[in-house]
Amino acid sequence: MAMVVDYKHDSSFPYWTSIRRRFDPDSPFFSSGNLERELLAKQVALDLTEDERNQLEKMIDNDARGVFCPIVGCGARLTSLEDFEDHYIARHTASCSVCSRVYPTSRLLSIHVSEAHDSFFQAKVARGYAMYECLVEGCDLKFKNYKGRQQHLVDKHKFPTSFEFFNKAHPSKKKRLKNQQKRRTHKKDEEASSKMEVENEIIDGLVSAVSKLSTSDSSPSNISFGRRNARGLTFVPRSIQAPREKK
Amino acid sequence: MADDSLASHRRDPIKSSVGNVAAQRRRQNAATVGKERRESLVRAKRLCRVGATGDGDVPVEENDMMTDEEGFLLEDQTSSAVKELKSAVAYQGKGAMQKRVNALRELRRLLSKSEFPPVEAALKAGAIPLLVQCLSFGSPDEQLLEAAWCLTNIAAGKPEETKALLPALPLLIAHLGEKSSLPVAEQCAWALGNVAGEGEELRKVLLSQGALPPLARMMLPNKGSTVRTAAWALSNLIKGPDPKAATELIKVDGVLDAILRHLRKSDEELATEVAWVIVYLSALSNFATGVLVKSDALQPLVERLATSNSLQLLIPVLRSLGNLVAGDSHTTSTVLIPGHEITDGVVKVLVKCLKSDHRVLKKEASWVLSNIAAGSIEHKQLIYSSEAVPLLLRLLSTAPFDIRKEVAYVLGNLCVAPAAGEGKPDLIKENLVSLVQRGCLSGFIDLVRSADIEAARLGLQFTELVLRGMPNGGGPKLVEQEDGIDAMERYQFHENEDLRNMANGLVDKYFGEDYGVNE
Repeated sequence: MAMVVDYKHDSSFPYWTSIRRRFDPDSPFFSSGNLERELLAKQVALDLTEDERNQLEKMIDNDARGVFCPIVGCGARLTSLEDFEDHYIARHTASCSVCSRVYPTSRLLSIHVSEAHDSFFQAKVARGYAMYECLVEGCDLKFKNYKGRQQHLVDKHKFPTSFEFFNKAHPSKKKRLKNQQKRRTHKKDEEASSKMEVENEIIDGLVSAVSKLSTSDSSPSNISFGRRNARGLTFVPRSIQAPREKK
Repeated sequence: MADDSLASHRRDPIKSSVGNVAAQRRRQNAATVGKERRESLVRAKRLCRVGATGDGDVPVEENDMMTDEEGFLLEDQTSSAVKELKSAVAYQGKGAMQKRVNALRELRRLLSKSEFPPVEAALKAGAIPLLVQCLSFGSPDEQLLEAAWCLTNIAAGKPEETKALLPALPLLIAHLGEKSSLPVAEQCAWALGNVAGEGEELRKVLLSQGALPPLARMMLPNKGSTVRTAAWALSNLIKGPDPKAATELIKVDGVLDAILRHLRKSDEELATEVAWVIVYLSALSNFATGVLVKSDALQPLVERLATSNSLQLLIPVLRSLGNLVAGDSHTTSTVLIPGHEITDGVVKVLVKCLKSDHRVLKKEASWVLSNIAAGSIEHKQLIYSSEAVPLLLRLLSTAPFDIRKEVAYVLGNLCVAPAAGEGKPDLIKENLVSLVQRGCLSGFIDLVRSADIEAARLGLQFTELVLRGMPNGGGPKLVEQEDGIDAMERYQFHENEDLRNMANGLVDKYFGEDYGVNE
């Protein structure tokens, strides 16, 4: 059982500690309360309507919480934290139509598609071309293999050692069981089985859509067009592992 | 200073106007996020009233913005008024006093007329030296009053304008003395309060010139508007960031007693100002905090929280309570002993705040609870078994972001034992299991997804507790069910390295290759 546990991470995790927290009187923590004081002190004179009050509160919130998107390379300014989730879903969930993996930028998505699903790409790799681009925009270096690029990211760009661009999947229980079955029956043909896993997951999706239209067989492993595609791919690099399911 | 206008007392309408300006200054200093839009919105709604001096003045209606012409006119009138004052001050003959008072009054009226008093024009015309002269010892009360009033309004302007009062400060401080008439002392206190509210530098000057002791003494009587103004001015004077003034204040004879007395018995408006004094005492000075705690200040604070419905009062009282709990471990360990009446009282009022509609109360009450929950195991159990937990759980999923963060602190602290030396703190498994069963995990995973670093950190830390501490290794599955893996995997492309490492570490450790294999 080869568990990949990075002990370095384990020991340096900042565990929850239960401690008192104190703030200075001019800490931003207190600013909304201070504002109330000022507004209320002038309640008689100010006579703000409910709307105006809400407007003011919103201005305070936005001022306090205007935040920048923390995804590398984005830097978009968001008016509030509540907006972040919408922004993330709109801009950082570029998903691969082949394997459903999700990436935060279209550039990374297209790199993924070349590396994972393009036989032409793999052909060039096989012939010794440096095809694996550095993931950091503007770096422009290219490497002959996945590992080499990986090492570069860690060495030059301080990526964590546990970072995996083409990362492990965390499928649902149903998928995991299926994967286990596949692993048992296709133990020797490792590459082909993982290919099938990729395809089967997509097929599930396609099939359920198709079955709504016609009377096709909904059992995934029997769909012929899936297998045909799997056979179509001649080369699968060893670094490709079981795909991650997009929730 | 919400002075309800008492038409009979002729000074009050002006006071409101001055109070507005003064409050505006206070606001500028208090809120760390002051943006122009916000200020203009507030300012535009400010009522300006002209004093009902019986001269037949007409109150200025709100939103009666001056035209440029009117502005120039006002400036001209102000310059003339200052000139008039100059000659009145120079005049030595019969009726000199009345002449001076009239000239001062005219200037004061002009400086109280609109939202944007012509302070610059007054200063340019040389008002300050004249006003200082009018403050000389032995001057009649009415003269002192009008002069101090003019200075108050000048001090309520821009920073440079406030600074222009420097030559007047020693005299203003002197007239705080017990021999002065109350209205004069009060007006001087008001002017000084505006000056103190301007900034640290001016506070330092005032303190070095001995403003604190006389202002403190003005707080000792049982009632009166003077007490209130003095308390307000003091709150500006001691607000730091240097804690010296706060420490000095609590040491003044009779002050501690007066503060507690007002907190217990006085009307809400006075209690509010005194509460703000306590806020600064407890936030800045460890000495003052200790004194307050030992003198049983918690009791009247709890009492006010239990009985009052005035948000204006509740905020500083709650914060004072929070500061006393946060600032001194003795508060929790020696006063708020689980089982004691005071402790039950505190939890009860904090629950009342959690139930309120007001954002600030919910947020700061959660903060206080989180600090109590950072105490001993008994403290955690006390809160855990109180009415607070169901409220907190609901707030975790429905409240605005800043409240959710504080709530997260409370709930997390309930699940973790007090730190004992090195290494990971122990979990309080029963609490963790129970809270997770009651559905708190999704709220924490939401925090993981937030763009706020502190919130994300909290979310990840709690997730770690769940992954580590749920019985029979059930943590990972629960986290997965709440889309926790997805939330953590987002950090792969996040620019914050700490969060990346935390998230990656958890994913690697608990959702590795073999996750789910042995099902």
